[in-house]
Amino acid sequence: MANRSEQRIAILFVLPAVALVAVFRMFPLAWGFLLSFTSGDGAGGAKFVGLDNYRALTTDAAFHDSLINTLILLATLPIWVMLPLLLAILIHQGVPGGKLFRAVYFFPAVLSAVIIGSIFNVVLRYDGSLNAALKSVGIEAVDWLGQGATALACLITVQLWATFGMSVLIFMAGLSTVSSELVEAARLDGAKPAQIWWHVILPAMRPILEFVAVVTTIGVLTSMFGLIYVLTAGGPGTATTLPEFLIWMEQGKMNRPGYAAAISMVLFVGMAGLAFVQIRIMSRNANT
Amino acid sequence: MKTLTLSLLLAATAVPAFATELTVWDWKSGDPLAAPYYQKAKEVFEAAHPGDTVTYVMQPNDQYYTLLGTALASDGGPDLFLLNGGAQARARFENAVKLDDKIGDMKADLAGLPEFSDANGIYAIPLTIQGFVVYYNKALYTAAGLDPNTPPKSWDDLSKICAAFVAQGTVPCIALGNKEGFGMEFWFSAIAASLWTPQEQADFAAGKLAWSSPQVLAVLQSWIDANAAGWFPKGANSTAKFMDEYEGFMRGESANTIGLISDVAHWKSFDEMLGAENLGVFLLPAPGGMAAKIPAAGGIGYAVNAKSPNVDLAVEFAKTLAAPEVLQVFFNDAGAVTANTKMDTSAVTSPAAKTIFGWLASDVVPMAHTNATAQELEEIHRQSQLLLNGETTVAEAAAAMDVVAKAARQ
Repeated sequence: MANRSEQRIAILFVLPAVALVAVFRMFPLAWGFLLSFTSGDGAGGAKFVGLDNYRALTTDAAFHDSLINTLILLATLPIWVMLPLLLAILIHQGVPGGKLFRAVYFFPAVLSAVIIGSIFNVVLRYDGSLNAALKSVGIEAVDWLGQGATALACLITVQLWATFGMSVLIFMAGLSTVSSELVEAARLDGAKPAQIWWHVILPAMRPILEFVAVVTTIGVLTSMFGLIYVLTAGGPGTATTLPEFLIWMEQGKMNRPGYAAAISMVLFVGMAGLAFVQIRIMSRNANT
Repeated sequence: MKTLTLSLLLAATAVPAFATELTVWDWKSGDPLAAPYYQKAKEVFEAAHPGDTVTYVMQPNDQYYTLLGTALASDGGPDLFLLNGGAQARARFENAVKLDDKIGDMKADLAGLPEFSDANGIYAIPLTIQGFVVYYNKALYTAAGLDPNTPPKSWDDLSKICAAFVAQGTVPCIALGNKEGFGMEFWFSAIAASLWTPQEQADFAAGKLAWSSPQVLAVLQSWIDANAAGWFPKGANSTAKFMDEYEGFMRGESANTIGLISDVAHWKSFDEMLGAENLGVFLLPAPGGMAAKIPAAGGIGYAVNAKSPNVDLAVEFAKTLAAPEVLQVFFNDAGAVTANTKMDTSAVTSPAAKTIFGWLASDVVPMAHTNATAQELEEIHRQSQLLLNGETTVAEAAAAMDVVAKAARQ
């Protein structure tokens, strides 16, 4: 009897969380899934079109370009992880001004994407401050945000600048948990600093590294809309169009919620798969 | 207590038993320049309909049609809703009341009706007329050794003028902001207006004139020819048309700009910044030596929700919004060129405005881009940027447009 009573109480405690997840996560997801099988602009009522939206994706050049841009973005992932790690190590080693650097690195993380976009719009536009600086030393101005060759690289760099401070903080927190006894033992055994880092500290940091990798991957695929909107509007052409921006274009500008939902589903499946692989790797490493 | 009860009773009986609240959706009523017009319409209507009230709901511009579509799909939504003329309006006709027999008394006074009508009838009352003209800075013409009172009438004239600015090298000939692709929209419709025959305009609207047809290719070719000749400023793809391009023009940083005739980026705002005597206006000529024409069409207008329980009252309010004495406020404050031809514009002193009104009274042709689908517009935005960068050719861009047009017009 006591067990059954405890079970009821446990269910009561869990229920609010389950309800929140169901209402605000699962229901919209299911709704979006159903919507992806419909057409129309929403005004005349949605019509069931089966897999037409998904078939249309296979011939949509803008969607293909957005996937290629996503792959390019994912290819830069090592930089997103290793740069903050390197900086965290330097601060942890006690470089002069470490506290100042920590605050400076974190500062952009509290700014909204619109503010960051506006700042870098002033810096990177053709008549902006970066080109003014280049011209002052005799280098020709570049349309950083208006050329396909540079626009995506600029966007990635700005997003990295805006968010790496958070990863630095996470790594610093991780570094502070590495057992000082282990490090001291290695030192007493004659290990050199580089060996201590490679064989003692980094293995201890592996769960943190993997956590940052997962969070960063999800972050760059789902939180760059504001920056794209302000900095490049997805252009030139589709040079800076990512799936999340395309979803907004289809839904907000072209009134095609069904098609936008189909892109959302593809993005969701891709991200879920990626996150699943990463979490499996984390779990496997945790068990070894 | 008795006094209070009596007062409440009197107050209650003072309001008609069937007082109605009309809900009106738009994206403009909070705009400081448009607010007095909306207030005037509300006052006139509420005075004529004691007890009935009007509530404006201003929605965010970039989400307007999504929100409207969702509201209408749920059989709800406002009693009246604002629409852009052309493709956006036509997409909502199935949700709107047919107005032909309800606006018979004012139909003859309204310009811009084609953008709010189809073969079945009229579905919205136009408020404004929108169009594209080229504004120029006379002082910069003088500084470049050009006659500020002789604007170009042909493509050759324009070529000579732009060559002078390119040679001088101080300001670009034609301001261009194409970050969102709007620069191409304006260029496309302005060139097509002077280049295409009425039949070609009609064929483009009907999807019969392919993007790879010689007529459309000529428009796209003029875009890259102008860019190759150095008429446009560098960095156009990272410059927003609204308002970076126009703010630069008003600061005297470019000689010409393709602007609007109504609401914003138009004669009134440029007059205020550059001085009316320093602002000139001409129609963009097209290659080929044909006479330039003004592309203009119904700008914005109000439709009545077919599911509204107050259709007749909503129609009354739509007519109030389009009444000459109410639109006069819109014209005076915002420089809106109104669709009601009964409105008095005789007091206008702006030389540029007078010239524009003269064109509007003569040979008006369609704004071609408003007859493209939303998907075509989005793709031409992209292709126009690639054309400026030399990352695609006119033929490739047209082929890509044909693919999108075919899918969109199915």
